[in-house]
Amino acid sequence: MIADVTALSTAIGLTQLPLLTDVTIGIARVVLDGLSKAALFVLIASGLSLIFGLMGILNFAHGSLTMIGAYLGGVVMVVTVTSDTAGPTRLLLFFLAIAAVFGALTAFGAAMERTIIRPIYDRAPLFQILLTFGVVLVLDELVRIIVEFRGLQPQSDWQAAIGTAPDSLSTWYDVAGVSIRGLYLFEIAIGAAVVAAIYLFLTRTRYGLYIRAGSEDPEMTQALGIDIRRAFTVVFGIGAGLAGVAGVMLMWDPRYGASVPLGVETLLIGFIVVIIGGLGSFKGTVVASLLAGGTDATMTWVFQNHVPFPGLPEMVLFVVLVGVLIVRPQGLFGLAEVGGH
Amino acid sequence: MTLLRLDNVHASYGQSTVLQGVSLEIEAGEVVALIGRNGVGKTTTIRSILGLTPPSSGTVQFRDGDITGMETHDIAQRGIGWVPEDRRMFSNLTVDENIRIATPNPANVPDAFETAYSTFPELTEHRKKPAGDLSGGQQQMVAIARGLVGDNDLLLVDEPSEGLAPLIVDAVAEAIETVSQEATVLLVEQNFPLAMELADRYYLLAHGTVVDSGSTEGVSRDDEMIRRHLSA
Repeated sequence: MIADVTALSTAIGLTQLPLLTDVTIGIARVVLDGLSKAALFVLIASGLSLIFGLMGILNFAHGSLTMIGAYLGGVVMVVTVTSDTAGPTRLLLFFLAIAAVFGALTAFGAAMERTIIRPIYDRAPLFQILLTFGVVLVLDELVRIIVEFRGLQPQSDWQAAIGTAPDSLSTWYDVAGVSIRGLYLFEIAIGAAVVAAIYLFLTRTRYGLYIRAGSEDPEMTQALGIDIRRAFTVVFGIGAGLAGVAGVMLMWDPRYGASVPLGVETLLIGFIVVIIGGLGSFKGTVVASLLAGGTDATMTWVFQNHVPFPGLPEMVLFVVLVGVLIVRPQGLFGLAEVGGH
Repeated sequence: MTLLRLDNVHASYGQSTVLQGVSLEIEAGEVVALIGRNGVGKTTTIRSILGLTPPSSGTVQFRDGDITGMETHDIAQRGIGWVPEDRRMFSNLTVDENIRIATPNPANVPDAFETAYSTFPELTEHRKKPAGDLSGGQQQMVAIARGLVGDNDLLLVDEPSEGLAPLIVDAVAEAIETVSQEATVLLVEQNFPLAMELADRYYLLAHGTVVDSGSTEGVSRDDEMIRRHLSA
């Protein structure tokens, strides 16, 4: 989560403009850094949030699905990209990878809901936690076996996949007098596009209407003739697909990269964001991503300039989480009883 | 023609049995009141018709089909609407969206708006507001409108006057009368005079079973059975 300190400072040093004060640059840099982190957070958390909102299921396997998405996306890129592949073609292949991974993991999520989640809706949350945690163990171990079999080190980032990103993304650009890596701008764009797509799906489509209604009152929704079980399957699938999309994005980011521990790392972020925003509220998830991204970026800046404690950003994130839980236990935009059955 | 027939319906929540053999019939076009004290199983009767609390034994027939044990959304699609106790608004959805989701065929949404807002002109100015921001009376209107636009032959209306000011109760009563011209109504109502005024017939429930029934004509609170099973 902590940005590459040396790279950042060198870059800032190179591009500092005489007209801007250090403070302005500091703020602009924190804002851009915060937005890029928020974009990743919202990608990681939105599927988790949709699933919990409608079904009240805390899907512990969400991070593992992100991890699988990262590897699958990496496979698509590593197989198709050669050293001669031009930048625009690489971007195009990346979008194909996103589409393919979204499709594959949506199907996987839907199958998972139909086979193992469906029988335990009426059980206590503990059963759902144990079950989805069991899925984590199985998936992580399967991936570890396959990755080792292919001669890769499962604990460390898949460098070959990171290397398929076009040069334009590792270039540093000048935005508002601040130098920012192309990749981070790309992440901001992808994050914004995914938020817009989910928002339009929820507010402009009939299925989105079912989901918003079902999140509030599944019984009443059924009594209006809507097959809520089918909506559960669809949403679990879409949520898993979104986890995969997050993974594909992280596969290119040297701060993350495709590795087996990515699952646990992103699951933690996902839970922090979803809980701060309020379980089940998509608006809350977006706002909490911005808040968490901003906090992380600010604290990274404080750490780099004032307080020599590398754990600061993560620690303050947890302080924010605890603060929100004390003041508003249901989260910023959460309904007190959401997800209940 | 008999629209709905319950035959010896039993239902329970976990260990506690609530319905111990409810049998009743509703003819098409009727308004039938289900009366009785709190906890005798009026709401559970409605829930068992809808499949929300499926009968453990007995049968529910709607038109000529047996709907016992069917999924709630299948039962609803056959033309049974629910105006539940406490109104059950989708409070984060706008009034328009509450009407939209209750309309089975998306192509009919404009007609549904027309039906809803001509029946309840008061709602017109609140169409874009979240339904949760409306007053209790207005929410009841939305709840009834949802039942109205759903192409329902039978409406199950549960405690529509509960918690409303007397003036609003009049408006709601009027709305139910309007609705009853289009659909058959099974009405659960604590307000005894109101129930008798709106309904053609009544069933009196006690301890999870029907103890009395008949025409509402000339029935008063002082009748022996009613007094015994209704007054506190």
